[in-house]
Amino acid sequence: MALEVLTRQTDNGVSVIAPTGRLDVAGAPALKDAISEVVKDGPPRVVIDMGGVSFVDSTGLGSVISALKQIRGGQGELRLAAPNQQVRVVLELTTLDRVFPYYATVEDALTGF
Amino acid sequence: MPSPAFSRLGSNQEPFEFHATFAHLEEGLSILHKSVDALRDATGRRFGDRPLMLFETALAEIGGNVLTHGRPPGTKRPIEFDLRCDDGTVVALLSDSGPPAHAHLSNQMPSHTSEAGRGIAMARRLLDELGYERDGEVNRWRLVKKL
Repeated sequence: MALEVLTRQTDNGVSVIAPTGRLDVAGAPALKDAISEVVKDGPPRVVIDMGGVSFVDSTGLGSVISALKQIRGGQGELRLAAPNQQVRVVLELTTLDRVFPYYATVEDALTGF
Repeated sequence: MPSPAFSRLGSNQEPFEFHATFAHLEEGLSILHKSVDALRDATGRRFGDRPLMLFETALAEIGGNVLTHGRPPGTKRPIEFDLRCDDGTVVALLSDSGPPAHAHLSNQMPSHTSEAGRGIAMARRLLDELGYERDGEVNRWRLVKKL
């Protein structure tokens, strides 16, 4: 399943990017494009809603690292929400769980953001 | 054209076999994931079964590399893929016509800021065995995990 990415804005200006499908070597460019659009508009606060991501590979993970670098470079902040078991395993295996704070739900990620 | 075929031979004690050829990235990745779905069904494992999920993650890493680098321009030979599970051990074989991959086999996990270069290091950690050999002009990969 090709990755589809929807972006919405909350009332207090946080961008919620919601990819759906496999975030892998085929799908990663779509997430990168969505992040680039958000970063263009100034210091971004971004939640990536991983709830619709069924599977992640190292290239998909690379696109999230790219997002983090772009967003922090623009003085913004990134939070990950709702990763499934496979995504959490990959984050832990690569020790990137130390870099990305992730939250159980989008609502949790938006709290105090 | 892909040519996936699998055999479910009647009971969980009998070998599971799946074979496919493919040439394109999204098509190939979909077939790899479908092969694991078929294995899950054939062995009666639940969705989220950890050993199978770890194997699928490794298969997608090596499969993604093979699909990305294994068909240089002008290559006619498709990617060959075989999956077999027997006596609780799953073995995947992938072959491609890409350049030799010896130099990448010992890749270590890169720094947190690196956007690439984790695939083989991840696969090594996820599998019981990651085999590679150069056979003439062909790369042959062997992935083994006890489920």
